[in-house]
Amino acid sequence: MSVLGAESRRDMEIRRYPLLVYTLVPLGALVLQAWLPRVVGRYDWFDLPLLVTIFFALGRRNPLQGTLMGAVMGLFQDALSHNAIGINGIAKTVVGFLAGSVGIRIDVDNHTIRILLTFALSLLSSAIYLFVARFLLGLGADWNGLTELLRAVGNGVIALVLFPLLDRLRVRD
Amino acid sequence: MESFIVRYRNLVVLLALLMLQLVGLAVQVRRTTGGTSTLEDTDPGGVRLIRLWANAVISPPERLIHSSTTGLATLWSNYIDLVHVRRQNKNLEDTVDRLRLEQAALLEDARQGERLQAMLGFQQKYIYSTLAAQVYGSSGSDRSHVFYIDKGWHEGLKPDMAVITAEGIVGKVRDVFPHTAQVLAVNDATSGAGAILETTRIRGVLRGDAAGQLEVVGVTADERIHPGEHVLTAGGDLIFPRGLPVGIVKKVVRDPDRDGLVDIILSPAAPLDRLDEVLVITSTEPRFSPQDEKDLAASALEQSTVPAAIKDQVKASEIMAEKLPGLMDPNLPADQQPLNDTSNPNPAAQPPQPLHPDEFSPSANDDSGTTPEASSTPKTNHPLAAPAGPGSGATPSSKEKPQTTPPRNP
Repeated sequence: MSVLGAESRRDMEIRRYPLLVYTLVPLGALVLQAWLPRVVGRYDWFDLPLLVTIFFALGRRNPLQGTLMGAVMGLFQDALSHNAIGINGIAKTVVGFLAGSVGIRIDVDNHTIRILLTFALSLLSSAIYLFVARFLLGLGADWNGLTELLRAVGNGVIALVLFPLLDRLRVRD
Repeated sequence: MESFIVRYRNLVVLLALLMLQLVGLAVQVRRTTGGTSTLEDTDPGGVRLIRLWANAVISPPERLIHSSTTGLATLWSNYIDLVHVRRQNKNLEDTVDRLRLEQAALLEDARQGERLQAMLGFQQKYIYSTLAAQVYGSSGSDRSHVFYIDKGWHEGLKPDMAVITAEGIVGKVRDVFPHTAQVLAVNDATSGAGAILETTRIRGVLRGDAAGQLEVVGVTADERIHPGEHVLTAGGDLIFPRGLPVGIVKKVVRDPDRDGLVDIILSPAAPLDRLDEVLVITSTEPRFSPQDEKDLAASALEQSTVPAAIKDQVKASEIMAEKLPGLMDPNLPADQQPLNDTSNPNPAAQPPQPLHPDEFSPSANDDSGTTPEASSTPKTNHPLAAPAGPGSGATPSSKEKPQTTPPRNP
């Protein structure tokens, strides 16, 4: 993993995207996340809103934007479920912040790094979700470690394809 | 202070957002008497509003995708995917020839089947009112087994209505929006319904586990529970009508938390992960066929005519009682009541004198000379001299002393 110093980050390129991309891509992720499980059945081992959060937070290299994006995506996911609104919101807020913070320090153009980062942040998101639901709220949420691991792997695989596609949408100088 | 906020702007925003969401979560969670936490049964107003907005944003494109894929699938299968149509057509023609021969043999069986089907009234078996709805989306999370249907409160849906398919139960309506509704599937961990095993009649609570498997929990270990047994709704939860198929017993495992109890893992009767069309039970009032309704109306009419006939009879008797003289007259004093009147309005007429009196004539008893006329009358045995009969108009008054037969002279 190539770790960069604080000086070099000034030289790094901040990726910018058209406003339409900022609107449609998260919306598309939320819609597909709600619709695709009907097609794939029980094998919904992916979290598209999480992937979009990580992608934009890494690309913008801005923890603030990553935090906001994560909060909005998580709250939308909670609102579409029957669970308490805020559990996913907290998990993705933290993930967005971390992804934005890490994006300052590492070379996010490297696909391997992005995939590994996605895998790790996916596991972290699941852990935060479980922590909030089980320990903070005491809701006694069921948990299956294998499913969370498979979801992290699925997110990594999808990121492998999705991130290069989304890279094409950025504004080039 | 300002420089501190600017310097740590990212952290401040992160903490502020986390705090906001934690406060929001605290509002939604309730502490039960048992010391555990649970979500409120109904969403608070603000939470419901957020769900409504999220649904309003996500539902239209989701429904668009759903209808587009359906249209594309139709377009593909009907107009594009026609590569093997010619060969299929030839095969189909052969099949038609063969089927024509079989048709004749099957015709009689079909007629018999129709008669039996009509006899069983299979089509009228399910008598509750239902509304068909199409499933168009889900929660997108395997932690929340909910899905969305394209009918809402404009179509008459309300929370806690049962959702079923022809195969079995599916879930219950949880949240209702104007044109859509959220359905909580029976395999969700927070779901709950009464279930009963068909043959052993063992009852338990139906819910889902972490993996989304359907299971009946809270069942005492019993050797009679075997895989393959059918499980039905018990009907005590006020949501699902009794006797609807739930699933088939797949296996029985020990309850890890409670000794002596087992969890029964089920294969759901309805395809819970591949739902397209569902039925929402909108009313549990029985829905009868036109013939049944006709019979009921005739029965009700008959019941209403019987009291009317009795009423007519009572009325007629009252009218008759008014017209006939009574023994008690309310307008008269007690001593002048007709009941106390001893005067006979129809005094008994004097019996005609016999033309030829004999020893049986009334006057013959008074030989002592009580009736001088009678004593002067010659005695005779003429039959016409018998005392006047009932038709003679000389019936003696009831107050008169009854006559005793005089002793016959030897």
